[in-house]
Amino acid sequence: MNAPTPAPSPVDVIPAPVGLLAELTHRCPLRCPYCSNPLELDRRSAELDTQTWLRVLTEASGLGVLHVHLSGGEPTARPDIVEITAKCAELGLYSNLITSGVGGALAKLDALYDVGLDHVQLSVQGVDAANAEKIGGLKNAQPQKMQFAARVTELGLPLTLNSVIHRGNIHEVPGFIDLAVKLGAKRLEVAHTQYYGWAYVNRAALMPDKSQVDESIRIVEAARERLKGQLVIDLVVPDYYAKYPKACAGGWGRKLMNVTPQGKVLPCHAAETIPGLEFWYVTDHSLSEIWTQSPAFAAYRGTSWMKEPCRSCDRREKDWGGCRCQALALTGDAANTDPACSLSPLHAKMRDLAKEEAAETPPDYIYRSIGTNVQNPLSEKAPL
Amino acid sequence: MTAQFPPPVPQTEQRLLSHEELEAALRDIGARRYHNLHPFHRLLHDGKLSKDQVRAWALNRYYYQAMIPVKDAALLARLPDAQLRRIWRQRIVDHDGDHEGDGGIERWLKLAEGVGFTRDYVLSTKGILSATRFSVDAYVHFVSERSLLEAIASSLTEMFSPTIISERVAGMLKNYDFITKDTLAYFDKRLTQAPRDADFALDYVKRHATTPEMQRAAMDALTFKCTVLWTQLDALYFAYVAPGMVPPDAWQPGEGLVAESNSAEASPAATTATAEPTAFSGSDVPRLPRGVRLRFDEVRNKHVLLAPERTFDLDDNAVAVLKLVDGQNTVSQIARILGQTYDADPAIIEADILPMLAGLAQKRVLER
Repeated sequence: MNAPTPAPSPVDVIPAPVGLLAELTHRCPLRCPYCSNPLELDRRSAELDTQTWLRVLTEASGLGVLHVHLSGGEPTARPDIVEITAKCAELGLYSNLITSGVGGALAKLDALYDVGLDHVQLSVQGVDAANAEKIGGLKNAQPQKMQFAARVTELGLPLTLNSVIHRGNIHEVPGFIDLAVKLGAKRLEVAHTQYYGWAYVNRAALMPDKSQVDESIRIVEAARERLKGQLVIDLVVPDYYAKYPKACAGGWGRKLMNVTPQGKVLPCHAAETIPGLEFWYVTDHSLSEIWTQSPAFAAYRGTSWMKEPCRSCDRREKDWGGCRCQALALTGDAANTDPACSLSPLHAKMRDLAKEEAAETPPDYIYRSIGTNVQNPLSEKAPL
Repeated sequence: MTAQFPPPVPQTEQRLLSHEELEAALRDIGARRYHNLHPFHRLLHDGKLSKDQVRAWALNRYYYQAMIPVKDAALLARLPDAQLRRIWRQRIVDHDGDHEGDGGIERWLKLAEGVGFTRDYVLSTKGILSATRFSVDAYVHFVSERSLLEAIASSLTEMFSPTIISERVAGMLKNYDFITKDTLAYFDKRLTQAPRDADFALDYVKRHATTPEMQRAAMDALTFKCTVLWTQLDALYFAYVAPGMVPPDAWQPGEGLVAESNSAEASPAATTATAEPTAFSGSDVPRLPRGVRLRFDEVRNKHVLLAPERTFDLDDNAVAVLKLVDGQNTVSQIARILGQTYDADPAIIEADILPMLAGLAQKRVLER
């Protein structure tokens, strides 16, 4: 008899991607200190041209992508946003505009509606205008957002409000819920900050304390019940206080691909923080080649890369070990278990770190901006 | 082990049935004996079982699920030609899956986990009723030892697998607030697989039961299988409904469960009563709002419902309904059209699709 071979796992089968996050540009009028974009932002001159984006969308459709998230930066900063959206509609791709609602967004909204935009996700930084504008780093943003939201619902487009929650606005969770109802949104995302990218740099300024988090969860659960059938509320709880990690992007290389403004294709928007990964560009390879063959997608797909405690864990194909970027940032090794998991030996330390930071006076925000020399947080903040 | 008492007496008056008559006779067996008629099944269907009773059912039924591929492998081993084996082996694939985490057994494990069991406890089968083990083992032996015709005929209970939503596993379990959406998400595959399996088996039986005796043997095999299923529910009823006599060593409420955490099962009430704004009636005209689209996914070869930040996988019934959701048809009209298409009672269909529509409305992907 041969030695027993391990059972074949879905790792051998590469599933077709479901979603494409198209970061059309890194330009944005807002400067949110928790932005998910990388610290080193792409400049306008480096951005892909229209034809390339249209080709990428066509390839995505052929590959099995169903949802396209038109994002950025501020996607309406692209002059060709209408053309790109029209292409999605032509291909049957579900188009989701992820927008700040400021700048030129409102001016383009009707045209986007006309070419078949499916859904709008509008970010709101706060409920109180002064607070919201402090967080977003842009004066007079709030009235523009309200105007934009009103036009979205007036057109009959489904609206989702996205609120990123942190210590600067966690007291406004009930307000976000009321605002969503008032604006006629169908969905509200109460998304506690995920500490990657700019949020990692600003972690101490953003980290709420545990009791605030618990209270926000309680409020959301009560509102879900009260507003059933009227408003769907998605809640993303903060990793640092979680029991199990989230399946990052639905599992590395399983559901999502992220195309950066200059055409680099990433398994998740923070993947570039992991050193040594080789990313391919849509200008060099087809999307299908990138999905199935690029080293970055292969690196942490499936389960064979895992170490203990993930390797033998029952949940390994539920959360896929959590977030690689967070594992790297906090443990120094991207192949370690995400310390957000209670089974990670570093979980208690992570929780303590959050508690300590939440207890201190928050430092000022380091606002996101193109060309600011922010140090890589890995060299600044030591792993646990 | 399946010696017949009394020994069969040749029945001289029996004549060879036509294919249609044979099918009718087989269907008649199901109409009188299939386990959907069992009182335990009715309680399950009507949402009247307690959580522990549903747990007992899920735990015991796991053993049946787990042994089905063993049974099919025994049958496969006796099939003489490659074509038949190719067809039959699909059943094993359906149950075992193509990889870890896939297949009917895994789906059943998810259900058992979904109602609170630890996986290891379910896998151990140590809490199942002896009657469950005896019935299922008898079935496996029957298929291994009797003629190929009888073995295949015994699988024909698949003909009676329900086609309407509320009778199907996922449909029934929707009545229970402790069953989460995640748990149900693993279901419904079997329901498109069953008719395909049954078609082949029925055709085989019709073509190979070429004498009155063989036809009788096929009918007896199907009756036997019905009793295999019925007996399991008898035992569940006796142990966990009335008189509630749980045999020694069988599962007792509280055993084998994951410690319940307060936060994980927050607000069980959230999944119970349908809030009023989303309830539908027969005269309502459902429509998909802007931002929600039914689309055929060519890459995955199935229909999906695309919605904001979400994709809903749909079973065949949901697709059939949603194809008729055009902003013109009322719910009753949709039920009538489906009744004609599937030769079923529109009233029953309407009763089935109302909760489905309400469920979609609650997720804000359907409007009136």
